[in-house]
This record gives sequence, C-alpha cells and structure tokens, in this order.
Amino acid sequence: MRQLILLAPEIFLSALALALLVGEAFAPKQHGLWIKIGVVGLVLVLAHQIAFFVTGAFPGAEACRLLPVSVKNGWVQYPMAFGMVAVDSLAIFFKVVILAAVIMILWLSEGYYEFETAPMGTYVSLMLLATVGMMFLVASMDLLIAVIALELLSISQFILSGFVLTRRSSIEGAIKLFLVGTFSTGIFLFGISYYYGYFGSTGVASLLEFAASHQSADLTLSLILVFLIAGLGFKLAMVPFHMWAPDTYEGAPTPVTAFLSVAPKAAAIGFLVRLLANHASLGITPILSVLAALTMSVGNLGALHQTNVKRMLAYSSIAQVGYILVAVVAGGSSGTQAVMTYTFIYVFMNLGVFAGLLMVSKQTRSEEIPTFAGLSGKSMGLALSLVIFLLSLTGIPPMGGFVGKFAVFASIIPQSNLLWLAIVAVLNSVVSLYYYFRIVHQMFFRESDNPSQPFFSPALVCCLLVALGVTVVAGILPNQILGWVRSVIGS
Amino acid sequence: MNNFCVLSLITFLPLIGGILILLSKNENSGLHRTIATIFSGATFLISVLLLLSFDSASSSIQFLENIPWIRTFNINYHLGIDGLSFPLLLLTTFLSLISIIASYGIDKRTKEYFFWFMLLETGMLGLFVSLDFFLFYVFWEITLVPMYFLIGVWGGPKREYAAVKFFLFTLFGSVFMLLSMLAIYFASGTGLPGSERTFDLIKLVELSHSGQLQLAGTAAMLVFLGLYLAFAIKVPAFPFHTWLPLAHVEAPTAVSVILAGVLLKMGTYGILRVLYPILPEATRAFLPVLVVIATINIVYGAFCAMAQKDMKRMVAYSSVNHMGYCLLGMAAVMGNPNAAHAGMSGAVLQMVNHGLITGSLFLLVGVIYDRAHTRDIDAFGGLGTRIPIFAGLMIMQAMASLGLPSLAGFVSEFLCFLGAFGGSFGHTNFKIWTVISVIGILVTAAFFLKMLKLVLMGEFNPKWEGHMPDMTPRELVTVVPLAVMTLVLGVYPAFALRLMDSTLTQLIKIVSGQF
Repeated sequence: MRQLILLAPEIFLSALALALLVGEAFAPKQHGLWIKIGVVGLVLVLAHQIAFFVTGAFPGAEACRLLPVSVKNGWVQYPMAFGMVAVDSLAIFFKVVILAAVIMILWLSEGYYEFETAPMGTYVSLMLLATVGMMFLVASMDLLIAVIALELLSISQFILSGFVLTRRSSIEGAIKLFLVGTFSTGIFLFGISYYYGYFGSTGVASLLEFAASHQSADLTLSLILVFLIAGLGFKLAMVPFHMWAPDTYEGAPTPVTAFLSVAPKAAAIGFLVRLLANHASLGITPILSVLAALTMSVGNLGALHQTNVKRMLAYSSIAQVGYILVAVVAGGSSGTQAVMTYTFIYVFMNLGVFAGLLMVSKQTRSEEIPTFAGLSGKSMGLALSLVIFLLSLTGIPPMGGFVGKFAVFASIIPQSNLLWLAIVAVLNSVVSLYYYFRIVHQMFFRESDNPSQPFFSPALVCCLLVALGVTVVAGILPNQILGWVRSVIGS
Repeated sequence: MNNFCVLSLITFLPLIGGILILLSKNENSGLHRTIATIFSGATFLISVLLLLSFDSASSSIQFLENIPWIRTFNINYHLGIDGLSFPLLLLTTFLSLISIIASYGIDKRTKEYFFWFMLLETGMLGLFVSLDFFLFYVFWEITLVPMYFLIGVWGGPKREYAAVKFFLFTLFGSVFMLLSMLAIYFASGTGLPGSERTFDLIKLVELSHSGQLQLAGTAAMLVFLGLYLAFAIKVPAFPFHTWLPLAHVEAPTAVSVILAGVLLKMGTYGILRVLYPILPEATRAFLPVLVVIATINIVYGAFCAMAQKDMKRMVAYSSVNHMGYCLLGMAAVMGNPNAAHAGMSGAVLQMVNHGLITGSLFLLVGVIYDRAHTRDIDAFGGLGTRIPIFAGLMIMQAMASLGLPSLAGFVSEFLCFLGAFGGSFGHTNFKIWTVISVIGILVTAAFFLKMLKLVLMGEFNPKWEGHMPDMTPRELVTVVPLAVMTLVLGVYPAFALRLMDSTLTQLIKIVSGQF
C-alpha cells in the first residue's frame, strides 16, 4: 500500500474530477470557478512533478520508505507501482509536458464563445480525467494498463469534442472520433492478445528485454508491434490512421481542438518511446520510417489548400507528429532526446497559435484564414507573436521549433541508410512554410474588412506569453531544455 | 581600441535600434527614421573604426569572441573577421546606412518597415562575422524573414507572390545546407572525449586539412552539393536565378539595394568561407563545372538584361551577369599561384564593387521611378539636358558597371578574367570559357549604352514636362557616396586588395593542398 504514494498525483486529480462533477450540481452557474479550481489542482500536481526533477527524488516517497532503484546522471527510477506503472524520469518528463499543456488549455477555455452556457464543471472534470488517462499511459509498464489509460482518454476526448451540442459539426466530429477510437482500441487489444501469446505476459519489460538481448526479431513479433503501433497511430493521427482528424478538429470547440492537437499526441508519443526506444533489433524500422515519411508528407500536402484554420492546424499537427516519428525511427539515446525536445517545444508553439486564433476569433466568430486579415494593424504584438509561432512550427531559427528540428535531424543523419528520410523531412518543412505563411500573409499583407479588435482576456494573454516565452527561450538559449532532456534519460 | 565584444556590438546594435522602433508610437515616422539612421550610422562608424586596428598583414582571425552556446552539440558563439569577411562587413554597414536614408520616402507603416530593415541588417552582419557553422546558419535564415516582409508589404504590384517565392526558394536551398552541415558535424569526430564533434568553421578547416574529417568520395560530393545548392540559389548561379528578377523588380528601391548589394554576396561568401576550405577535394572536382556555370551566368545574364524594357529588371539581370564574373574569378583558384591570386582577389573585390555599383544603379532607377512612376526604357528620352546631375551619375555608374577603366568595376572584372585565363584543373584549362565570357562584357556594354541612349539622349518626352526636377539633396546623399567609392576603388584598388591579400593567399594554399 505504501506504493500508493507514487500514484498520489493521479489519485488527487481523479478525486478532484469527481468532486467537480458533484460540485457543479450544487452551483451550476459558476462557469469561471470550475476552471480556476481545475487550474489550481493541475498547477499543484505540476509543481509536485517539477519538484521531482529539482530534488531528484519523488516528493513524499522517502517518508513512505520508498527509495529509487536506479539513479544515474539525473536518471531516477523508482520501483514500479504495483508492478505495472513506471515511476521514472521519462514518465515524469512527459507528465510535466501534459500537465503544462492541459493548464494552458484550461486558460484557453475561459471565455470561449461557445462555452457561454456550457456546463463547465463537467468540462473541467473531463479534462482532468483525460489528464489522468494520459499520465497513466506514459507510465504504463503493462499493456493492459495502457489500454485502460487509452480508453479513459478516448472517452473523455469523445465527450469533449462533442461538447457544443447545438452545432452539428461538433457532434459529427465526436462520433467520428468515437468510432475510430473504439476501432483502434480493438486493434490494440488484438495486438496484445498475440503479445501475450508470444511473451507469456503483457508486461512491457518482456519486449524491452527482448530488444536488448536479441539481434533480430521474427516476423511474428514485428507483426504484433505493427498492431500496437496502429492502435497508437490512431491517437497520434499517424498516416494512414489520420482520416478522422480534420473533421474532428474542425468540429470540436477550439480549446478542445487545441487539446487534441497536443496532449493526446504527447502522451501517445511518450508511450511509443517507452516501447520502442531501441527498436533496431525488432525489424520494424522500415515500416516505421515509411509511416514517418507518409505522415509528414500527407499532413503537409493536406494542409496546403485548407481555408479553415482549425482544419489546417489539424493537418499541420499530423505533419508535426511526422517529424517526431522521424526521431522515433532514429531511436537510441539521441533519437529519444530528439523526440522529447521536439514534443516539449511543439506543445508550446502549437498552443501559442491556438491562443492567437482564440483571441482573433472571439469577435469575428470565424475560423477561416481571412479572419486574421489586417491583424498587424490592430495589434502588432499579437501579429508578431503569431509570426514567431509560425516560424517556429516551420523550423526557422532562432525559434524553439528549429532546435527541435535540429535535434531530429541530428539524430537521423548519422544513419546513412535513412538519409532519404531526412531529405523528405527537410523538403516537408519547405512545403509547410507555404501554408503557415498564408496566415502571416493575411496578417500583414491584407487589410481587414472587420473592425473588431482581438480579444485579450488575462487567461488568454497568460497562455500566449507562456507559449511565447518557451518558444523564444528554447530557440535562443536551448542549453536548458537540451540539458534537461539529456539528464532525463540519464546519458 | 578595446576590441572586446566589438563584433557583437556591431551585429546587435541595429537590432537594438529595431526594438526601440518597435516600442515607439505608430504615427511618429520621423522618429522611426531618426532611430534607424542613428543606429545604422553608429554601426557604420564602429565598423569603419575597425579599420584602424585591423591587421591586414595577418591571415588569422581577428576580434575573436568565443563563448559556449549549446553544449549538447558543442556549438559556440564564435565571432571573428578576417580579410574575407571584413570588406563585406564594411560593405554591409555602408549600404545599410545608405539604404536607410534612401527609405525616407517610405510613408506607409514606417514602424514595421524600419524594424524589419534593422533586423535584416543584424542578420547580414551576423552572417559575415560568424565562425560557427550553426551560428552562420541561424543568421542565414534570419535574413529571410525581414526580406519577406519588406518585399511583401512595401513592394510593387506582384509583391506578395515575389515575397513568398523568394522565401520558398531560399529556404529550399538552406534546408539542404542544414543536412550537409550536420553531415560535416558528424564527420568531424566520434563524439567521444578527445574527439569532440564541432561546428567551428576554423577547427573544421584544420580537421579537413589534417585528414581527420571523415568525409571522402561520394559522401563528400553529396555534402558539397547540398551546400552548393544553398549558396548557388543565393548568388544566384544559373539555373537557380529565376527568383531574382522578380524579387528585385517588386522590392522597394532601398530593399533592392540591399538584396543586390549584400544578400547575393552571402552566397559567394558562403562558397569561399565554407566550401573552399572545408571541402577542398570536392571543390577541386567541381571547378570545371563552376567555370561553365560562371560563363552561363555572364553570357546568359547579359543577354537577358539586354532584352529587358524595364530598367530595374535590366539592372537585376546585370546582377546575374556580374555575379558570374565573381564565380569566374573563384573558379581560378587551382591555376598557377599568380592567376589564382588574381582570380580570387578579383572575385572578392567584385563582390564589393558590385554592391557599390549596382546599389547606386538601383537608387538611380528609383529616382526616376519616383518621379515618373514607370521604369520603361522607352518612356523617356532627353533627360540628359533636363536633369544633368542625374544624368552624370547615371552615366558614371553605368560605365562602372560595364567595366570602364578607372572605375571600380573594371579592376575586379579584369582580375577575374586574368585569373580565369590562367586557371585550370588537371589538364583542362579554362581559357575557352574565359574567352566566351568576354562576350558578356561586350553585351553588357551594349545594353547599358542602349539604355543611356534611350533615356538620356534624344527627344524629351513632353509627358514628363514639369514632373522631372533634378535630384534632391537626400537622393544625392545616397548616390554620391557610392559614386565616390566607385571612383576611389577604381583608381586605387590596392587599398581594398591589401585588406584581403593575406587571407586569400592562405585560402588558395588550403584549396590547392599546398598548405
């Protein structure tokens, strides 16, 4: 039972989520309050997780006589909770990313125009439950825990994307997400059944031991992994499992779109890295690299002709995951570091764009690209911030996104047989410039026909500034983030 | 002079000015101009003061700054200048100041305009002073963004298309530079203690020379081509020149000056700074191709210029032709030592001269465009008698551009040809290509003289009656310094050649493997 302390953050968030549900029944009119409570709860948990990195020990664990089993160059690992949930630097790194993302998304949700009459207690509660699901996913050391975590995430996601009951597109997107989510869980479970047959256990450790001790894998194992990757691929919107993303992103309320585009992806990537950090001997490198190339290219080409910003960002987030997959393909220590660096920076730069979109669309009530027209004349600061985010997403220095891309390319270049993948990746970043800059084009080269000013609420400004700070600082002084990532995996 | 951080000061002073402009009020365009002028003026002054303490006899790097930046990848904030970068640094601060003054006529969104301009200046200066490949790349990319806005907001009718085409073209090249850069990095060591990998351009030259750079054969050639693509697009070398006429024609006058005067030099500078010393073997193998490309640039650029009706377009194509001379001079690096030295000096001098001459030609074309709102060669005539000061300057700079002795263009073009005539690689010599290139000179003379005839001589077009005052003092302030420098470098080029002499001697030794 002492191990429960290691799950304290998750337990706390689950309890808070339930409390919010009950609380809302008594005070249904308190819209802002629930978001504030949610943010405070998440900030507490985030502080707890950050304390882990600052002190190098799980806060509170020592009081329960739990000591790390492995400490090396900043890598800290505790015994698994109940033999199924990892408590180590890698998991907590992704938890920090996810928590930071969800906090910013709750900021984005405050004052969103479609939420004026929505039950925000339920909304925040679902967000917290999804967060718990993601925190378990990145720490799963057993595939069954992963399935439960995925389901918790999926169900919350599904309700959240259909949260605007009055708009058909929102419900359409939610149902697509639901069907695809169920289907992908089925595939994942199917993979697990074979996995169990192959290893005689559902523990992730079996696979990690196999990867470390074998030179090559047989076809059966590769096939099992393909099923598992496909199951996660739906969550990542990895091509060819991406078809649901554009419709769901467009239909969902914008803060939920922001959520979908960063948090579940970070979680699924966290689990993918845990599973496949050293996949060289598992025989899936060819298929992974083809999937990475397809994900980047389909995402970018799909984004080229979109006129709706949310739809464009849906395709853009597919492409961004593609770059991260390139680093997954590279694997090993440098690949894992690149995955983490890119994911971290991606979360902030992408949420920055969403913050800008929400500020602009609050008054215009439109998410078409021309909604940004003439923004430089209305608010130079906001326009320049958006330029920074979009440059960062393209991967132009000195923005954070470039450091991420640089780390990705640096992980793939030493493997000369994967040079083609690096070339595909750089060509894709040229293509992406074209559509990201369609927004810049509107902001700076076009006059607005709508006199409405962008909307600056404290919460939105807060979110924008945090995103801006991380994007710029990670670009100009990347020592911190790179050093942190390096210490997390203990190399 | 205390040279601590002086290069950082030069590089970031314009950016500080830019940020001040950004913080000022929207409407106060006078203030924006003043801040921009003061900061770029100060930058120019400091860079000129460097002349006093710059030791031109030494081929080593001067005014060094070296601070660790990104430890994970062993990237340093490494700045310094030598005889190759210093002339270009001076050119950049000089042309930037001139262009800022030439931009006083801009009255639309001045705050943004001058902010982007100052950011652009920082990017260009940073590029010329960086000695770390990563830093070089960062500054290379930084210049793209302001250029995109400067063309896209303040340009001509097709500005938006021109801006995005410029950005996409250059980015296409630079992503391959990124890959090649990483390949060089991973070839520079094993990453274990004692054999750290590096992006340091100076260390890379040493590693390459001592054979420790693990790049050879096909791999080296691929890396070379990746970098060459990035630089060739910028130069622009045939067949990557198609973005240039469009960008030039659409850009506002002052931006064209910077584009032709400095941005194109980033390409040739990159070739000399990175490709020549770090990949000498691949460079040598590539020289026979380079000389052909140079010849095409010269001849094809000249013929294209001749076909233009739009004066700005004509000057833009003449840039393709003039950068061809520069490439031709660079191709001579493997000839006999004297020829190589002449060719390389000519190439670097041509970079500077082209900046001065073409810069002033763009300004002069801008002068009549401001008055007539057309640049059509056929729309004018007889301007020589109406606006004699303009005519005089126009004739002088056109003559400089076509290579009249005693003006700057002649010296550098002559040196380029001299070098290329003695240039060779293995058993092939470049004489035939040099001879073909001379046709370019002829055509250049033809189209400039034709332009002068149509615009300055003949009947005055009565349509412009009353619309054609002579140059204003502000316009003179921008053009005359360039004209004076053209004359100075034409009569006494030794002043500039001495600056670059020892660095180029060293570079030739490195490339030819006699070092």
